[in-house]
Amino acid sequence: MNKQNRIWFWSISIIVITVLSIIIINAANPNTNGSTVVTDQEWSKGNPDALVTLIEYSDFQCPACASYYPMINKLADEMGDDVLVIYRNYPLSSIHPQAELAARAAEAAGQQNAFWAMHDKLFANQKAWSGQDNAKDLFISYANELGLDVEKFKSDIDNKAIKDAVKEDQRSGNQALVEGTPTLFLNGQKINNPRSYDKLRQAIRDELSKIQQ
Amino acid sequence: MTNLDKPSEMSSPKFNNKLILSFTAVALIGFLDALYLSVSHYTGHISCSVVSGCQEVLVSQYSEIFAIPLAILGALYYLFIIVNSLIYIDSQNKWSKLILSYLPIFGFLFSLYLVYLMFFVINALCQYCLLSASTSTILFILSLILIKKNKYVPRV
Repeated sequence: MNKQNRIWFWSISIIVITVLSIIIINAANPNTNGSTVVTDQEWSKGNPDALVTLIEYSDFQCPACASYYPMINKLADEMGDDVLVIYRNYPLSSIHPQAELAARAAEAAGQQNAFWAMHDKLFANQKAWSGQDNAKDLFISYANELGLDVEKFKSDIDNKAIKDAVKEDQRSGNQALVEGTPTLFLNGQKINNPRSYDKLRQAIRDELSKIQQ
Repeated sequence: MTNLDKPSEMSSPKFNNKLILSFTAVALIGFLDALYLSVSHYTGHISCSVVSGCQEVLVSQYSEIFAIPLAILGALYYLFIIVNSLIYIDSQNKWSKLILSYLPIFGFLFSLYLVYLMFFVINALCQYCLLSASTSTILFILSLILIKKNKYVPRV
C-alpha cells in the first residue's frame, strides 16, 4: 500500500469500528428517560402539586397487585396532600389472559369518571372473574353496579382508543424496564416493593424529607 | 490464459488477505458482542429474547476476574485480533501473523471453559455469551487454516 492508501485504510477502519461501537453501546444502554414523566392523561389520586409522585405499574389479574391496592389506597387517603399516586396498566397477558380486558374495563369506566371505582371493584373481586370465560359479562355487571351508562361502557371497552391507552401504558412500562407487577417508581426511581403499609409510608416520608432538605 | 504471467508466489498473499479479512470480520462481530455484554454488565440489565439466563450469567461470580469483567477482557481480545489483522493487511507484519496464528487457540480454550461454566456450574445460558463462544471458535478454525497455509515455523 502506498502512503495515501494506508491513510485511507486506517481512517476507514477506525471510523467503522468507532461508529459500530457507539451504536452497540447505545443499544445496550436502554434509555429510560421520560418513561416516568407524568402527563395529563393519567389515572391519579392525591395532590397534583405534591412533591412526591408514586407511579404504580400494575395488572388487575395479578394476585400481588390485589394485595397491594388497599395499601396504595390507604396511602392516597392518609397522605394525599403530600403524594400523587398514579396507576398505569401493565397487563402480563401471557400469564393473565383477562388482564388486558380488565385494564380496558377500568379505562372504559374512566371515560365516565369511574376509573378508581372500577379499579377497586376489579381488585376486590379478582378471584371471582380471574380465569372465568365470562369475565367481560362480569365487568359489565360491575359497570352496572357502579351506576355507569352500560351501553357506553360496552362500546368503550372495545374502543380502539381504549386499547391504545392500555398499550401506551405498557410501552412506557417497557421503557421504564418494568419486569413484573406491581412495580413502583418513587419520583422516577424504581423502588423495591415495601412489604407493609408502614414501610411504604416510610419510603414516602424519606423521599419527602430528602427533597425538603 | 495468463496464468503463466503471474508469479506463483502472488497467489499466496492474495489468499491470505481474504483469510485475514475473515479474521477481521469475525473478530469485529465478537468485539461488538463483547462490548454489548460489557455495557450490560455495568448497567445490570440485559434483555434476552431467545434463551433466558443472561442476567444470571452476567452477574455470576464467574463474570469477573480480579474485578475485571470477562466481557471487557473479551472485547479487548477481539479488538487486539482486529488490530493485528489490519496491521497484517497493511504491512504483512510477521508478528501480527504470529499473533493471528496462535492467540485464537488460547481464546478458544478459554471460551471452552466459559461454556463449561455456563452449562454445568451456573446452569444458565446467555445467547450473547454463546455468540462469543462461536466467534472465538471460528477464529480458532481460521488460525488453524492460517498455520496450515504457512507450514514453515516463523523465524522469530
